[in-house]
Amino acid sequence: MDNFFSKLVELFSTQEYIDSLLHGFLLTIQVSYFALLIGLVLGTVIALVDTARRSKWMVLPKFICRVYVGIIRGTPMALQLFIMFFVIFAIKGFPSIITAIIAFGLNSAAYMAEVIRGGILSVDKGQTEAGLALGLSNLTIFMKIVAPQAIKNIIPALGNEIITVLKETAIVSMVGMYDLNMAAKDIGSGQNMASYIVPMFVAALFYLATIYLITFIVKRIEKGLRRSDLRTEE
Amino acid sequence: MENTNTDLKIRNLKKSFGKNKVLNGINFELTEGERVVVLGPSGSGKSTFLRCINWMEEPTSGEIIMDGERVTAKNIRKIRRNLGMVFQHFNLINNLTVMENLTLAPVKLHLMSRVAAEKRAMELLRHIGLPAKAGAYPASLSGGQKQRVAIIRAMMLNPEALLFDEPTSALDPESIGDVLSLIRELAERGMTIMIVTHEMSFAKEIATRVVFLDKGKIIEEGTPEEFFNHPKTERVKEFLKKVL
Repeated sequence: MDNFFSKLVELFSTQEYIDSLLHGFLLTIQVSYFALLIGLVLGTVIALVDTARRSKWMVLPKFICRVYVGIIRGTPMALQLFIMFFVIFAIKGFPSIITAIIAFGLNSAAYMAEVIRGGILSVDKGQTEAGLALGLSNLTIFMKIVAPQAIKNIIPALGNEIITVLKETAIVSMVGMYDLNMAAKDIGSGQNMASYIVPMFVAALFYLATIYLITFIVKRIEKGLRRSDLRTEE
Repeated sequence: MENTNTDLKIRNLKKSFGKNKVLNGINFELTEGERVVVLGPSGSGKSTFLRCINWMEEPTSGEIIMDGERVTAKNIRKIRRNLGMVFQHFNLINNLTVMENLTLAPVKLHLMSRVAAEKRAMELLRHIGLPAKAGAYPASLSGGQKQRVAIIRAMMLNPEALLFDEPTSALDPESIGDVLSLIRELAERGMTIMIVTHEMSFAKEIATRVVFLDKGKIIEEGTPEEFFNHPKTERVKEFLKKVL
């Protein structure tokens, strides 16, 4: 135990190690953030196509979305990452962070699409009918009635997806990228530290703290959105 | 526009859900100021009939003509503004306050300014005794309160007629009374009304005409006096024996 604490002190008093951890942490955050952004936008588009009313123009887009979601959810993330790195973006000098963001973004889109689709479908049909009976347009019904209620249902699952992506980005270390996970391994294998347990323990704390913060924010948002569920008056 | 005092004409209306034929050719006319009560056993297609009129369900075939204009997918939105609908489960919009529920459509459809709509909404809320609920969300209202708000929401658009789809079926007895007296009041003011209900005494009292549906067809219609006291068909006699 003494050894553990002395190593811990050593880690936090060596600028090089701190730089490595922060550098890795920054990459993890960058990849997660931009991947989630792509996932949210693309996932929303897929969900909208999927829940749109059936018509002859929607047959092909709906089919494409189904196949896309099927493939992404049916294959391992690590394999998708490899395909991006060693097949699709196997271009010399292409920035690996972009490749990673695209790989995780495309993956997350499929899961987000399912979450958003479920959220939209969970809104009671009577809500749409109320809008229709009042002569409102489909766009107004979606924007003013369906979307706000769907978002409320989506937020908890979306928080889950954010957490999943943040942790899953750790596999970029498999293609040699220097994320938080890789930084821990790198520091641990260095001659000076000669301990895996300490840097890995610290990396775990970084992940935990970040996820705790995300959970906290999501809960706050959720609470705000549940305002209209309260049976009491303002 | 050949016949100006007929608001609504329905010719050979049919509706199937897949293989399930619910409406089998309904012919019907509704004239301004009429109050038509639609009766029938469960599964006879009463609600579907009502819901086809404003295309909550798209008819499989047949014609619906409103004020001389044939209802199609293109003009349905305009038609719906003139045909208010009140649902069994109220369908107040959960994420909007009572006031927002009332003003959303008139403001969005540019029929009233926000200020005018809020003023009108407040008048109506005062009328039903719920001005204090203007800022409340539907979740904090009782069933009867929700339904009365739903009725004045339909009134906000000044419709030519109101369609009621079992408006009291989901309510407790006391709330039923409140909702029925609001409907009665609209009737007394000359509102054209079509109502699907199981409240027989109310039907008798309010109706100018009773329509009886069985297996997706109108098998008997007449004034409440004729219908309840001198039913013509065996099916209606049997029905009345059970419900009265």
